[in-house]
Amino acid sequence: MKDPDSVCNEAVFNQVYNDISQSVWRFAYYKCGDEAQADDLVQDAFIKLWSNCAKVALAKAKSFLFTVTNNAFLNQIAHKKVVLKHAQLTPSKVDNESPEFVLEEKQYHKKLQDAISNLSEAQRTAFLLNRIDGMKYAEIAEHLNISVKAVEKRMSQALKQLRSEFKNI
Amino acid sequence: MDKHYILHKYLNKEATPDEIAQLRSDPEFADYLRLAEASSGFEPPQFNASANFDVIHSRREKKLSGQAKPAYSRLLKIAAIMVLVVVSYVFISSLSTTVTTDVAQKETFTLPDNSIVQLNSNSEINYKKRNWKNNRLLKLEGEAYFKVSKGNAFTVETPQGDVTVLGTQFNVFSRDTIFNVKCFEGLVSVAFNDTLIKLPAGNKLKVENNKLVVYTTTTTQEPAWIYNESSFENASLITVLNELKSHYPITITSPHSIANKRFTGSFTHENLNSALRSICDPLQLGYTVDGNDVTIYAK
Repeated sequence: MKDPDSVCNEAVFNQVYNDISQSVWRFAYYKCGDEAQADDLVQDAFIKLWSNCAKVALAKAKSFLFTVTNNAFLNQIAHKKVVLKHAQLTPSKVDNESPEFVLEEKQYHKKLQDAISNLSEAQRTAFLLNRIDGMKYAEIAEHLNISVKAVEKRMSQALKQLRSEFKNI
Repeated sequence: MDKHYILHKYLNKEATPDEIAQLRSDPEFADYLRLAEASSGFEPPQFNASANFDVIHSRREKKLSGQAKPAYSRLLKIAAIMVLVVVSYVFISSLSTTVTTDVAQKETFTLPDNSIVQLNSNSEINYKKRNWKNNRLLKLEGEAYFKVSKGNAFTVETPQGDVTVLGTQFNVFSRDTIFNVKCFEGLVSVAFNDTLIKLPAGNKLKVENNKLVVYTTTTTQEPAWIYNESSFENASLITVLNELKSHYPITITSPHSIANKRFTGSFTHENLNSALRSICDPLQLGYTVDGNDVTIYAK
C-alpha cells in the first residue's frame, strides 16, 4: 500500500482497468465468441489481480490478466461452437463504387466472418489479436504463453484456411 | 526473399512498400493480403467497461468481507485439530491394551519392557502401555505364562490374588475359584486373601476358595500348556472339564455323581477324542461325542 505504483492502490487498479480491460475482454471474446462469458472472464481476471495485487507488479499486470484469462478459458470445458458476431463493417475506403461492388464486398465480408468463426480457437485468437487489435507477434506470444514461432504458424494456418474456404465456393 | 517471411513482416506492420508489392504479384499471397486487410475491418462487439467495473467492485467487496472469515476460521480449525490430536494422544496412550484369546486359541506377545507373555486359551490380559517401565501391572483372567525381564516390580492382578515379581518365569492360572501359581525361575511373591507367600523357583502353589491347598515342588521346566497339553495334579473333575471347554468349543453334560472325582494327568489340546480318553479312561468313565455336545457318564 505504501508503494504508489502498487496495484493494491485503488487509483492504480482503476487505471489498469481503464487501460487494459477492453483488450482483455476482446481477447476473451475472440476465444469464446460469447459476450457474457467474456464479461465473466474479465471480471474474474481483475478480481484475481486485486486479490494478488501484492504479488503482481504494475508492469506485469497486463501479462497477468491475459494469462489468467487464458487459463480460466482453458478450464471452462464446455464451450459451444463459436459464432463470432462482428458488429460493424467499417465503411469501404473507396467512396464511389457501384452497387454491384458494394454487394460483392458485403458478401465477401459475410463469408469472411463465417470463415473466421470456423477457425480453431487458437488460430482465431492469434489472428484477430493481430488483425483487429493490431498486436505484434511478440505481444501475442507473451499473452498466449507461446513462442513467436508458434504465433507465426498459427497466423499462416489461419490465412491458409481462410483462403481455402473461399476457394471451395 | 521467402514470401512467407515477408507476409509475417507485413502482418507485423514491418514490411516495406516494395515488399508488399512483391507479395501482391503472387496470386496466393495477394489472396492472403486481401483476407488480412478485410479482417482488419471487423469490429468486435462493444465492451461495457463501466458495467463490468461495477460488478468487479461489488464482487471485490464481497470477497474482502468473505475473506476475513476464512482466515479466522482456518486458524480455529488448526487449533481444533491440534487440540484433538493432543487429547486423542493422551487418551489413547492412557488407554489400556487388552489381549484376549478365545477357546482353542493361544497368543504370545511382548510387553513394552520385552517381557514375554504367553496367554492360554479363553483368557484375557489387560495392561497400560503408558509408563509401563515404572508401573508393570497387568490384570489377568484365565491362564498365562510370563517371562519377566529384570526391572521394577512386575505384578499380575487376578480376582483371587496378586503375584509380584522382579524378573522371573512363572505361570498363573486363575479360573473360577482356582488360583495356581508355578514359579520356574527366580522368586515370586503371591498374595491372596490375607496371606503372602514367597514362592521360590521350582515350586508351585494352588489356592482353592481362598485357601491354600497345595504347596509343593514342581519338576517341570515350563508349563505343559505351552506344548499344547493341560496337566493336573489331584484336581477336581469340574476344573478339568472346564479347562477342556477352554480348549475345545464344546458343551459337556455330566452326572453330578462324578463331580467329586479327582484327576491327575494331562490332556492334549489337539485332539478332542484323545483328550476325552485321557480324562475318562483313568476315572473309568464313558463318553459320547455328538458334534459339539459331549456327554460323560459313569460306566
